[in-house]
Order: sequence, then structure tokens, then C-alpha cells
Amino acid sequence: MSSASVEPRRAPAGSGVELVGLGKTFGSRTAVEGLTFEVRPGEVFGLLGPNGSGKTTTVRLLTGLLSASSGRARVCGVPIGVGSQELRRIVGLLTEQPGLYDRLSGAENLRFFIKVHELEERQAWPRARRYLERFGLAGREQEACGTYSKGMRQKLAIIRALLHEPRVLFLDEPTSGLDPEAAHTVRDAVAELASEGRTIILCSHNLAEVEQLCARVAVVKNRLLAVAPVPELRTRAFTLEVRLEGEASRFLPSLAGLPLPGPPTADQSSLRVPLSGEEQAPDVVSALVAAGARIYSAARAGRALEEVYLELVREKEALR
Amino acid sequence: MSGLSWRRVSAVLWKDLLDLRKNPALLATLAVLPAVLVAVPTLVVYSYVHSSEELALRTIAQHYEPNLPADANAVLFLVQKTVDEWFGLFLIMPVVVPMLISSHSVAGEKERRTLEPLLATPITSAELVLGKSLSALLPAFGVTLVAFAVLCVIVDLTAWPLAGRALLPNANWLFGILAISPLFSFFGNAVAVIISARVGDARLAQQLSGLFVLPLVGLAGLQLAGFVSAGPAYYGLLGGAVLLLDIGLLALSVRLLDRERLISRWS
Repeated sequence: MSSASVEPRRAPAGSGVELVGLGKTFGSRTAVEGLTFEVRPGEVFGLLGPNGSGKTTTVRLLTGLLSASSGRARVCGVPIGVGSQELRRIVGLLTEQPGLYDRLSGAENLRFFIKVHELEERQAWPRARRYLERFGLAGREQEACGTYSKGMRQKLAIIRALLHEPRVLFLDEPTSGLDPEAAHTVRDAVAELASEGRTIILCSHNLAEVEQLCARVAVVKNRLLAVAPVPELRTRAFTLEVRLEGEASRFLPSLAGLPLPGPPTADQSSLRVPLSGEEQAPDVVSALVAAGARIYSAARAGRALEEVYLELVREKEALR
Repeated sequence: MSGLSWRRVSAVLWKDLLDLRKNPALLATLAVLPAVLVAVPTLVVYSYVHSSEELALRTIAQHYEPNLPADANAVLFLVQKTVDEWFGLFLIMPVVVPMLISSHSVAGEKERRTLEPLLATPITSAELVLGKSLSALLPAFGVTLVAFAVLCVIVDLTAWPLAGRALLPNANWLFGILAISPLFSFFGNAVAVIISARVGDARLAQQLSGLFVLPLVGLAGLQLAGFVSAGPAYYGLLGGAVLLLDIGLLALSVRLLDRERLISRWS
């Protein structure tokens, strides 16, 4: 990425997002329901969920592309709604597919959106040029977009979403379908935007990406499963790692009677036992000792966000 | 809700015309129909003018006009008849050209996944549809005018040795080109926009829209076969009917091209 810079901007006060019981149904199908959470001004917030969990629907509700069936939401204090041009002036949207006009050049694509946003070209085009330089697309803007690589297309789509200096930027699966190198450059671009203090809502099922970029996440699967800072979510439940003598898998049956949040796993002489809380640790150790295990160590293991996420999704499915 | 922004409408028009200019396949397709609709009557007039089968031509002329006076020039009658009746088929052009452009530009937005980023801007559905309609109607009107001008020149040059005067443009054609053909273009565009909004695939939209041209071809066939006598009253009636259809289609397209419906259906 080029070192050319765009003036850093701080998110103005009141540029957060607030959802209260937000829901959307399509006929008899409920896409999302009861979403209640808040995204703070200047925060990079992750919206996590599997495919079909309602992430894109939520983004479309918050960008005024769909109307809510229930609940309400405000973006920078502006109520959401399909008729709200004010809302669409303050939000920027990067869709999962970049959605570029392939026969038009990069510059023509950007100029079209400058016109549609009714921006002064004298001011907007220099800004677009700075973003082009910053994202490494300068010099390629006169080429037809159909000749761009996937990473270039996605970066141009990000620039397009930024042309009108939106107060809240929605990124829907920004690295979906990209090769690792392109995904890396896009993640770098998002990280830089985040460093400017922009409010960013990042939809993804790429947990590593969310963990890397977001301060807080909401896990959704048609409804809200959890909202928390990433570190807190990771420690909400934890795993006890037990090293013992001999093959660990033979002690798995001894844990069957314990009310664990998930199944324990064995790997050679190690057991990984998910716990709902620290108070379960002595019960696990006692059960293993009672089964004849000789324990060398029992320690709290760090959990990847992925484990927590899968656990939350599994819990939701078990409740059905 | 704020009023219509002509700046956004013209942005869509600018982008779609630019896209059209960079689409040689579509431009070639658009050129074929006018070329055929100019070439065919020219060849027919040429064949009449240079035919030596005067008796046969008189028989044909009497099929159209049984009371043709014996001293009337049957060849000139047939040339005049061909020129007059050809307008019925010529009308296919202002219908089909916007259909081809609109199907491509409206359904193309779905195929290219460009609609959602566009609808996330302050543009309204009405501005989008108006911009897209203008980007189909203006080229259609331009192509029709140019084709008509070329037809006038070529037919007049071809028929001059026989007629000794310019047959085109005449009052009927001028009325048809300036008043009737825009109504038909509007019809073709509205049909294509509505079908494109439903199917979202440019080729399927073009094929389905094409079905709506068939009644026009049928009418033109009846004219050429001598079953319908086309004059100012006939075209006035036809234009009135199409105007009513246009109003109905406009109301339907505004209802169908609602933003949420577009996103739910197209994304």
C-alpha cells in the first residue's frame, strides 16, 4: 500500500449505531429477529455468523435497502428506513461482490458514484485520487475494471464506498472469495480505515479476520447469540488442558457424567475439556483421578474465538 | 422524500450511454435492424422501378386497388404503396431498439451485481428507472431518425427515375416518426424494464420482451397483405392505444421497481 495519506478523520460524536429488537421477515421466513446491540462511535465492530444467519439482511436494514419488520434502529441518530436518503448519505456499503461496471474504467466507475452522490467533482475527485494512491491503484484507474484482479476490484469497491466520506462504513464479507494475498491487502486497507477512527461494521464468517480487526463482536444466527469484546468472549468459557500419563482417550468415558458445555477431546496424552466456569475444574480433576489417571498438569487453555463461536452456534441449534 | 434529482438521473444516463458505447456486440445488434428496415424497401422499390414485367405489376397493383384507372402508372402506385405501408414494419425499430438496450442495462445490473451498491446511494427508484429509460429512449429515437433520413435519401434516389419527385418524407411518415414512434419506443422500453425487473437475466428479458413485438408484426403483415389500409386515422388510433398502454405500464413499473422489491428479488 502506498504511503500517500488521506487526512485522518475522527468519527463525530453520535456516529454510532443502535439497534433495538430489530427484525426482518420475508413472508413466513424470519431472516433476523430481536437484534439489540449498540456500536460505539469510532468502533470496528464485527458481525459474526454462519452463512444464512442474517448478517447481510442486518446490513441491508441498517443501510436503508430493506425496511424492518419489527424493532427499530438508528445510524448516527438517523432512523433507518428505505425512504431515508439522509441515511444513505451517511453510510457507506461494501457489498460481498464488488459490483463494478466492467466495461467502464476504474475512474469512470468512481466518477459515476461521485455524480450519484451529487458531490462536487472538484473536491471529490482529488479525494478519490488520494484513495487510489493509498490503495495502490493509482496509474490503473484508466483501465477497464474487467481487467482488474479480485483484490483490485475489492479495493476499488472500498474506495467507491468512501467517496462521500460516510460516517459509518458497512463491510459485508470484504475478503470473501479473495486469494490469501488479496485478502491480506484488503484487511490492511480496513485496518488503516479503522485507525482513522471511522465507525466500521464488518460482517464476516472469517473468525481470524474479525479477531484481527474488531474490538467487539456480535454473534448472530437469525437472532443475537452474544455481544462482547473479543477477549471477553474468548474467556467467557474456557478449556481445561490436562496432561496425564498414557493414552488420554481412555479417560474420556470418565467425564461423561459431568455437565460440560461441549465434548472433551483427547490428543495422545492430553485432554482438552471445555468448561462453563472455573468451578468445574476440580470436578474434572476428581473424575479423572477416580478413574485412575496420573495427572502431570491441569491448566487453563486460551480459546480461539472460533471455539466460542461454534459453541454459541451449536447452543442455538440445540435450543431449537 | 425529496424530489427528483436530475443530476442523479443524468448520472445514470451518462453511465449507461458510456457502457453502451463500450459494448460493440450490443451496438452491432442495434445496427442490424435499422439496416434491414432500410435495405428491404429500397430493394423492393428498386425491383419495381427496374422491372420490365409491367403487366404482372399491374395485376399486383389491382390486387391492392381493384379500381385502379387504366391510365394510372401501376409501377408508381406500387412504389408509393410500398413506401406508405412500410411504416408499419418500420415501427418495429423504435420498439425493439429500446427493448434491447433496456433489457441489457436493467437486467444487466443484476447479472453484474451492481444494483446493491447503487441502491445504497441516495438515488431513488424513480431516478434510476428514469435514467435507464432515457438511456434507452434517446438512442432509440436517434437511431430511428437516422434510419429514416437514410431511408428517405436512398428511396428517393432509387425512385427518382420513375417518380420524378421525392416520395419521402411525406406527412404520414413525418407524423409517424415524430409522434407515433416515440410512443412505441416508450412501450418497448417499459415492457423491457418490467420484464427485466422480474427475470433479471438480460437474454431472457430480451427474448420475453420480443414476444410483445409480435402483434406489431402481425398488424404490419395484415397491412402488406392488403387487409388493413393504413392511413393517418389508423396510425392515430394505434398511437392512442399505445399511449394508454404506456400509461398503464408506467404505473406498473413504478410499483414493481420499488427499492425493497428490487433488493429482495435481485440480490
